[in-house]
Amino acid sequence: MIRVGTGLKRQQVSASLSLSEVAFRLMALALVDAVAIWLVIRMVTDGVWLLVTLVTIITVGLNVVFLREEFYPLRWMSPGLALMILMVVYPLVFTVYTAFTNYSDGHLLTKQQTIKRITTGLQNMYVPEGGTAYRWVAFEAEDGTLALWLTDAEGNHYFARPGEPLRPARAGEGIFGPPDEQGVPTAIEGYTRLNRIQAAANRELPSIQFGLPPNAVQVRTPSEAAVLRPRFVYDPQQDAIVDQKEGKIYVADDANGFFVSADGETLTPGYIVTVGWRNFSRLFNSPAIRGPVIRVFIWTVVFAAASVVTTFALGLFIALLYNDPAVRGRKLIRSLLIVPYAIPAFISILVWRGMMNPQFGVLNRALDTWLNISPPWFSDPMWARLGVILVNLWLGFPYMMLVCSGALQAIPDDIYEAAEIDGAGAWKKFRLITLPLLLVSVGPLLISSFAFNFNNFNVIYLFNQGNPPMRGTLTPVGHTDILVTYVYRLAFASGGGKDYGYAAAITIIIFLIVATITLFNFRYTRMWEEVSEHV
Amino acid sequence: MIRRTILLPVVVLVVMVAVAACGGGGAQPTAAPPPTEPPAEMAPSPTPEPMEEPSPTPEPTAAASPTPEPAAETGAQLVIWADENRAPIMQELAEEFKAQYGVELVVQQVSFGDLREQFKVAAPAGEGPDIIIGAHDWLGELVVNGLIAPLDLGDQQDQFLDVALQAFSYDGQLYGMPYLTENVAFFYNPDLVPEPPTTWSEVREIAAQLQEEGQVTQGYVLQVGDPYHFYPIMTAFGGYVFGRDEKGSYNPDDLGIDSEGSIAAATWLDQMVKDGLLSPDVDWDTMHAMFENGESAMFITGPWALSRIRDSGVNYAIAPIPDETADGKPFMGVHGFMISAFSQDPLLAQAFLTEFVATEEVMQKLFEADPRPSAFLSVREAIDDPDIAAFGEAGQNADPMPAIPEMASVWEAWGNAVTLIFQQQEDPEAAFKAAAEQIRAAIAGQ
Repeated sequence: MIRVGTGLKRQQVSASLSLSEVAFRLMALALVDAVAIWLVIRMVTDGVWLLVTLVTIITVGLNVVFLREEFYPLRWMSPGLALMILMVVYPLVFTVYTAFTNYSDGHLLTKQQTIKRITTGLQNMYVPEGGTAYRWVAFEAEDGTLALWLTDAEGNHYFARPGEPLRPARAGEGIFGPPDEQGVPTAIEGYTRLNRIQAAANRELPSIQFGLPPNAVQVRTPSEAAVLRPRFVYDPQQDAIVDQKEGKIYVADDANGFFVSADGETLTPGYIVTVGWRNFSRLFNSPAIRGPVIRVFIWTVVFAAASVVTTFALGLFIALLYNDPAVRGRKLIRSLLIVPYAIPAFISILVWRGMMNPQFGVLNRALDTWLNISPPWFSDPMWARLGVILVNLWLGFPYMMLVCSGALQAIPDDIYEAAEIDGAGAWKKFRLITLPLLLVSVGPLLISSFAFNFNNFNVIYLFNQGNPPMRGTLTPVGHTDILVTYVYRLAFASGGGKDYGYAAAITIIIFLIVATITLFNFRYTRMWEEVSEHV
Repeated sequence: MIRRTILLPVVVLVVMVAVAACGGGGAQPTAAPPPTEPPAEMAPSPTPEPMEEPSPTPEPTAAASPTPEPAAETGAQLVIWADENRAPIMQELAEEFKAQYGVELVVQQVSFGDLREQFKVAAPAGEGPDIIIGAHDWLGELVVNGLIAPLDLGDQQDQFLDVALQAFSYDGQLYGMPYLTENVAFFYNPDLVPEPPTTWSEVREIAAQLQEEGQVTQGYVLQVGDPYHFYPIMTAFGGYVFGRDEKGSYNPDDLGIDSEGSIAAATWLDQMVKDGLLSPDVDWDTMHAMFENGESAMFITGPWALSRIRDSGVNYAIAPIPDETADGKPFMGVHGFMISAFSQDPLLAQAFLTEFVATEEVMQKLFEADPRPSAFLSVREAIDDPDIAAFGEAGQNADPMPAIPEMASVWEAWGNAVTLIFQQQEDPEAAFKAAAEQIRAAIAGQ
């Protein structure tokens, strides 16, 4: 059936295609290709090969789809699919990949980058034992070549030029002009004296060898020049970095991403390697998982469920209220009620934080005056939990209100009329007609709202960072921490810096939990079927 | 039928994607404020960090404009990253630098909160700056990742405050050129407290007396659960966070959170709360507001709060941290210049710092643009603002805030211990011992 259908469509379409439409399509395609080629060139220079491959595949795919008639049905979907691959699938794949690496502080660079970083540059040069360090002043000849006036610690002066041996010199003699306080000639015949910044502006300066190798002097810092040797040298045969100064050999340890010496010392920085399941086993073996994670998990579920129920209840209530045509100015009021949704969440959360301050907060002062209580929102575990749910209610109800208003208008009036004739009251109409019909279309949204709140990092983190703290735990954790904020604590706030690999591993575990709960919800409530029946 | 078969996979896909997107949220925690830096969030740093400012690419602030008579054009150029508070003064210096030496200094503005993360990404890709301006406690992270290069100040070394150089040293090696220091000091209201207390026992007595007389709501205020402002008290009782080795570097194996002195300080705190002299409901803002409207007579804060206290019109004076069994020492934060290990012009970058910035003239300009005690001795000694000078005085014996990566494990557990004491949920000794245990476990890699 489908084949016939599309075949028919294609015939019709080809018949009605005009030249200008084809031209437009080709031009649009050319534009997309141009952007893609530009992107690929940029990304090749950055060396992000995974992205290069991906963009290339997507671009080729788009071209095929738009140029070959037999892929006509795919044309409408292809932009969406392409964007989805780039914006959703790629980050997902990358997250999974990261979970199997040691990508973290101390392991940010690739092995190639690390070798280059350790074995090159001015920072790798050292003065060998017994070497002399000189103070230097640079002079530039008319033809642009440089020469150095060197002064050692004893006050002996030398004049050094590339390719000629160092020769002792004294200011005020021969071509050398009269000395300044340091004994450096103020001028040399045929040369201009440079200050340190002018000299350093010449990028070549550190690599110029003044004198005859191997005893040539090189500039190391703005104040010091000496006979220099590179300290760390990479030996590809041993796959090791050799320390010329100490004579130590640091062998690449590709299991841990470090260059390690025989006595266990490592070179900084390390590099990125894949570590298999290590991040996962670390998670399951950590005291963190044996400790408070069950409590955190229960609270996470409670928080997500309570957020959905409260926001839905309030949203539905308001939607019902303003769905009644008898209410005046309902459009205006409805627009105003969207305000909490429109204000950036982090601003509202901080405002709530202020209002709930136990000493100065407006809310607490009011409660104190009317009810004579001043809830300790930030220090008592139960009040803190209630506070988080309240703030989330404020943030979440406008969304539910919008969704419900739309769904309510879709329920046909004649059903209500029929119910009235049968003698149903307001409550019965709500319970037997409105709610079941509403849940059909809103149900899946409630489930995704649950999944969203399950990972609602912003509310918890901005409201109280998961505090107040639990006592007697093996890792720092708070009473309002949900799984995501707990992960944040584990992966970023403890140990030696940020551990992206570990965080990615925990994220995957959380994803599995959320996915399981969500799938189970859909199965259990059979919402798929209902949705597709009714669309 | 057809509609249904097509629709179902699409819905599945969309929902899966939505769920996946939520699940992926945890993988991008860089958007959230870093918790590794309590001083920056608890004591709002002078450069407030916008929560989630999307500025992926630093915007060049009008590259050095042509000056009337540039020195011989060399074509060389340096790129420097500075936050919004420092970019204007750097821009000014860039013009001067170009006029004097013909070297272009491109100042790019990157917000303080984003600078480190962006530098971590941009530098290895070869797109980073030659120089960044930042805080010394970034050092651990940047050095461990191999992103900044050692620095040799040569003969300029003696011109800098010793503790500031220490702060910018890692493993005995200097990695930055400091230019300003900041530390907390003891504020008191001379109308209520004629003479500044010199010990914490005195603070306690004065607070108790003032409260008894009903002159204030709370004699001494301290923000709940904030280890940064608690550290001066801890050191006054002989406590410490990390011990130091012979080179003066912090030693992560010697944790002092459960040392005798730290517990003594915790016990003092506990007693204050028990006696109603410290309230468990005071946060950073409350603490300042109470001092500013005279509801409180003494507290600890830093130079970043100076302007709001001045504006409030309250009578105030600044004194060094009170002592007890030992010297009360605040943490010192030091800001300075660091050179990228990936810079193509490391020599020029160094020369810019040691020959141009490390001069009294430029250091004075930097001080005037951001009046906090300079790390450059001659400028520091010539400070004529008595308040800033008082902060400098209070910071005379300060400890540089540990920059070792292990410090990241300390803040949270330590802060929680202080909070638990404030809330009277755990006795001081148990709280600090538990915190020390948590920290040791975290340092050992769990």
